[in-house]
Amino acid sequence: MSSQIASTVDRPWLMGAREAIPLLGGYIPVAISFGVIAVQSGFTGWEAVLISTLVYAGASQFLFVAMVAAGAPLWFVVLMTLLINARHVVYGPNIAPWLTASRWWPWLMHGLTDQTFALSHVRLPQLAESQRKAWFIGLSVVAWFSWIGGTVVGAVAGQELTQRSPLLGEVMPFALPALFLVLLAPRFAARLWAVTLGVTIVIALLLAVFGFKNAAIPIAAVCGALVYYGISALATEKVQRAGEVRNGQ
Amino acid sequence: MGSELWFALLVTALGTFLMRALPLLWMRRHLIRKQASNTLDAMPSWLTVLGPLMIAAMFGVSLVPSSINTATCLSTAVGTLATYLVWWRTRSLGWPVFFGVAVYGGVLLLANAAGI
Repeated sequence: MSSQIASTVDRPWLMGAREAIPLLGGYIPVAISFGVIAVQSGFTGWEAVLISTLVYAGASQFLFVAMVAAGAPLWFVVLMTLLINARHVVYGPNIAPWLTASRWWPWLMHGLTDQTFALSHVRLPQLAESQRKAWFIGLSVVAWFSWIGGTVVGAVAGQELTQRSPLLGEVMPFALPALFLVLLAPRFAARLWAVTLGVTIVIALLLAVFGFKNAAIPIAAVCGALVYYGISALATEKVQRAGEVRNGQ
Repeated sequence: MGSELWFALLVTALGTFLMRALPLLWMRRHLIRKQASNTLDAMPSWLTVLGPLMIAAMFGVSLVPSSINTATCLSTAVGTLATYLVWWRTRSLGWPVFFGVAVYGGVLLLANAAGI
């Protein structure tokens, strides 16, 4: 990706909307599944759509409807749902340096999901300050509406749709790992980052394979941070020792 | 939905929104307080490290197909490699994702047809 694209963007909201397209491959099939499961769990179509509109957080929505359907105490449902969403706490501060002084930004954070964060983290620094808000609005509106739209389709005709084209539902979600890979790829040039990211990816993958999908993201990120600081400390110590040897000669 | 369930939904929605918005406001104040000329330097270093690591963790999780078998694992490996190669060539955002998905779908189709 170009490191400086600011001067070439005429309509940043359109660029944001266009760059949200790869997200749809992951959003729509999952949102359709949510619509189907919510209706099967006893929610009406409108209620499913309202959950997608207001909460707008994939895994926690599934947990919300599943726990309500299972008859869990509501305080426990809220607690568990918020616990799953706790990872969002680190997203805002990470993009804060590139946000303008506009009072709209805190409200726009409703659109900050795992995927829009990943895109924003890479793209915002490359845009001119005046273009960032419009770009983010374009990105988050398309992503949000696709999530809501997918829920509508799922609630109305999801079961029939997934039965008719099961392969499509399997193929489209690959857009998400492909997008994450493209966002990470430039960092693999540095050895420290290549090792750190490699360890993080493998830990997250293994945790997900063994069924800990929600815990995988924070645990793998913390392990990656330990690796990063561990390698950095070792490298600093090595440089210090080399300096001491040189001074002793 | 009963009124209690409505309340639970609203608390969940509000809580999720606050978890997204409040840390941003905290960091903005932190940056203003520092009044650093370079805002990146004013950020805690662990936070600048954690951002890419969260994306890497999401990548790891998203690599796991919904049904794990030889066909989906093979498609994931080939699709990932294709995505990286197209990124290496184009250094763009859209084309690598498009080709990655196309290759993933193609390999999955072939693997299913071959009975793998």
